[in-house]
Amino acid sequence: MRGISKRFDTTQALEDVSLSLYPGEIHALLGENGAGKSTLIKIMTGVHPPDRGEIRLDEKPISLLNPIQAQTHGIAAIYQEPMVFPDLTVAENIFLTHRTRSPFVNWGRLYRDAEDILKQLDVKLDVRQPARGLTLAAQQTVEIAKAISLQVRVLIMDEPTASLSAHEVRQLFKLANTLRKQGVAILFISHRMEEVFEIADRVTVFRDGKWISTKPRVEVTPDGAIRDMVGREIHDLFAKTETARGETLLSVKNLGKERTFQGITFDVHRGEVVGLAGLVGARRTDVGLALFGVEPADVGEVVFAGKPVRITAPQQAMKIGIAYASEDRRALGLVMPMSVTENISLPMLREYLYGLGLINFGAEKKTAMQFRERLAIRTQTVDVPVAKLSGGNQQKVMLSKWLNVKPQLLILDEPTRGIDVGAKAEVHAMINELAEQGLGIILISSDMPEVMGMSDRIVVMREGRQMGIFTRAEATQETILAAAMGQG
Amino acid sequence: MGQTLRRHFRPEQIRELSLVFLILGVLVFFSTQIPNYLSPRFFNRIASDVAIIAVVAIGQTLVILTRNVDLSVGSIVGVTAYVVGTFLTGNHELHPVLAVAMAIAIGAVLGTINGVLIAYGRVPAIITTLGTLAIYRAALVELSGAKTVVIDAMPRWLQELPGVTLASFAGLDVRLLVLIALAAVIIFQLVLSFTNLGRRLYAVGSNPDGARFAGLPSEQVVFIAFVLCGALSGLAGFMFLARFGNITVVAAQGMELQVIAAVVVGGVAIFGGQGTIIGALLGALLINILQQSLIRWISISAFWIDALLGALILAAVAADALILGRLRNLWARSEVQMTEADEKRVVGADVPK
Repeated sequence: MRGISKRFDTTQALEDVSLSLYPGEIHALLGENGAGKSTLIKIMTGVHPPDRGEIRLDEKPISLLNPIQAQTHGIAAIYQEPMVFPDLTVAENIFLTHRTRSPFVNWGRLYRDAEDILKQLDVKLDVRQPARGLTLAAQQTVEIAKAISLQVRVLIMDEPTASLSAHEVRQLFKLANTLRKQGVAILFISHRMEEVFEIADRVTVFRDGKWISTKPRVEVTPDGAIRDMVGREIHDLFAKTETARGETLLSVKNLGKERTFQGITFDVHRGEVVGLAGLVGARRTDVGLALFGVEPADVGEVVFAGKPVRITAPQQAMKIGIAYASEDRRALGLVMPMSVTENISLPMLREYLYGLGLINFGAEKKTAMQFRERLAIRTQTVDVPVAKLSGGNQQKVMLSKWLNVKPQLLILDEPTRGIDVGAKAEVHAMINELAEQGLGIILISSDMPEVMGMSDRIVVMREGRQMGIFTRAEATQETILAAAMGQG
Repeated sequence: MGQTLRRHFRPEQIRELSLVFLILGVLVFFSTQIPNYLSPRFFNRIASDVAIIAVVAIGQTLVILTRNVDLSVGSIVGVTAYVVGTFLTGNHELHPVLAVAMAIAIGAVLGTINGVLIAYGRVPAIITTLGTLAIYRAALVELSGAKTVVIDAMPRWLQELPGVTLASFAGLDVRLLVLIALAAVIIFQLVLSFTNLGRRLYAVGSNPDGARFAGLPSEQVVFIAFVLCGALSGLAGFMFLARFGNITVVAAQGMELQVIAAVVVGGVAIFGGQGTIIGALLGALLINILQQSLIRWISISAFWIDALLGALILAAVAADALILGRLRNLWARSEVQMTEADEKRVVGADVPK
């Protein structure tokens, strides 16, 4: 792949990136969240066409305009969550995308061929069994078998080990080695440093959509790779102003939820911003959801404003003064066809009623207009559906909505994802202002400079576990990323 | 023309306006085809028919707004009409208001069963109400022993009720039953536009997850929608009894199709979150006028009427997808232009540094 570029709206996801894969090599791709790994996969599998650049296979340029073209060129991908069809048998799943000339299924041959492929991989699976009920690892095996049945040349493995047990990881590596011997080129993407060093032949690092380095594994050290991944300047765009740290507002001890996270312990003081850092799959959002009562925790103690609480529903969380602004504006944050006003008042509609449940439109609109001014939401009227606003302005509407609840603790989940630099600066200014007013803030963000710039303290998570807490003075990009990757 | 039109109307209102024009167009067309078409008798009949459908359509709108559907409304109308009719047969002295209250209560109880199963039991609405559609009807057949309620056994006030006219202009009657339906339409339209409950119905239907994250009691909102739908179907059951008098076990069978057709043609989005009760009323009117007119025009058979209904639903959905989608885009674009103009003006003025 040469000179690949891809832009989404305002973000340059990939910029002039080149990468070569050789037959029979396992090539690891490393990078922080947002480094462009997923975009590269999508380009290689034909989901998104690149804006610029060319892709060559066997030295011949190929076009990958859709997933079917990628498939016919022998490029396949398996993901952390396998995409099998649960009601079809293993054999049907393997051969699902094959086109046969006959309209009838030759079941005998189908099963025989499936068994052949699985034998070639040295795995034992009943090909007649439906995929439902298979373990995640077995489902991945089915996906790999499917790729092989399609004469795979290039296999992309995107975080394949994230949900596997240690034993299953061994099995998967054995499979990968088998494929390597057969001359398949494997692109292996993982946040687990030790796995990368165990299996990869070469290691490439991306950062912020750019290619940084490609080196043989023997020349790479974990520290060196982490430096490559973070080696950027932090500009003072994200400076948090120093605020007086007040009394303890929230105290979380050993918070846990089965199969999700465990042993989460931290405090948030009034006027303090606590960042939750980690890579994809660190389960930071789950902690936020637990504190807001959407997906309550199973174990652990939460003390809020001096009182022990068990938060089991969003209504309850709002009542005691906790608000949660979701990362997913579209699905969870806003009601798109509703107006700015209606969205802002939604959680607090009770405060805007005359008797008999009649809405006081005047008061409601007044609040909306106050927030429009305070957060500089750019819209001519507050009566337009929020669907029509830009991402940054939608984000401000969502912040308004939660500020209107007058929370003591505000959980912000990726508050600046997908919004432009100007709007981002405004959101950061807002966070500063709120902290000065004595709010406690939990900032969940995958944007490393943002977390480091805005947080007084940073809790680093990795796969549902707390890896450490760093004060602003202690935190460097290297220490945080090392902790997030389990190298701390 | 764009700007002024866009400032004063939302795409949904344009849709309702176009329904009004469509209805007028249909009336004008048939008046050229059928002699004595625009007679007062014709309109009185349409008003009486639509009154019943409209009341059920109100309930159905509330339910569909929440991204659900109630298929059991026809059975609820039938059960209520039959039970109240049977009771009145033996109790002539029952006060009319109590009879109406009884009908509403029966409907509400049946709606509550739907609501509990769907909102709290988390059974999909289409399955639940398909089941209760059959169960309510079967219970009616079983309880009644397939006997018929006859009009002659009804108290005098009920026999006279359909004819009660409060005012009359040039042969056009303002009948009590029609007024009741109109009052219900207005009340519930006001509820949707001006109350907490109305706002919540829209929010839950447009974005169920978002509503949950905003701390709204989604289950409760869905439950209330089904109870209200049942209660309104109960009221419609009483109106059905008053209008037809003779009630058999198949009374109001298949009404759910007509009601859903009216609601969808009236612009209520089947995926929830959008639509008005006025729209549903207009939808019911259009469908009824077309049915009545076609029967008189070419003596079309009842089977073809059903096919026509089906075609209308498809046309409405297609129009929704094509025209309304385009209108919304047009609106959105002009909005963006306005907003961009805004931003140019605002930028630099109040952006915090």
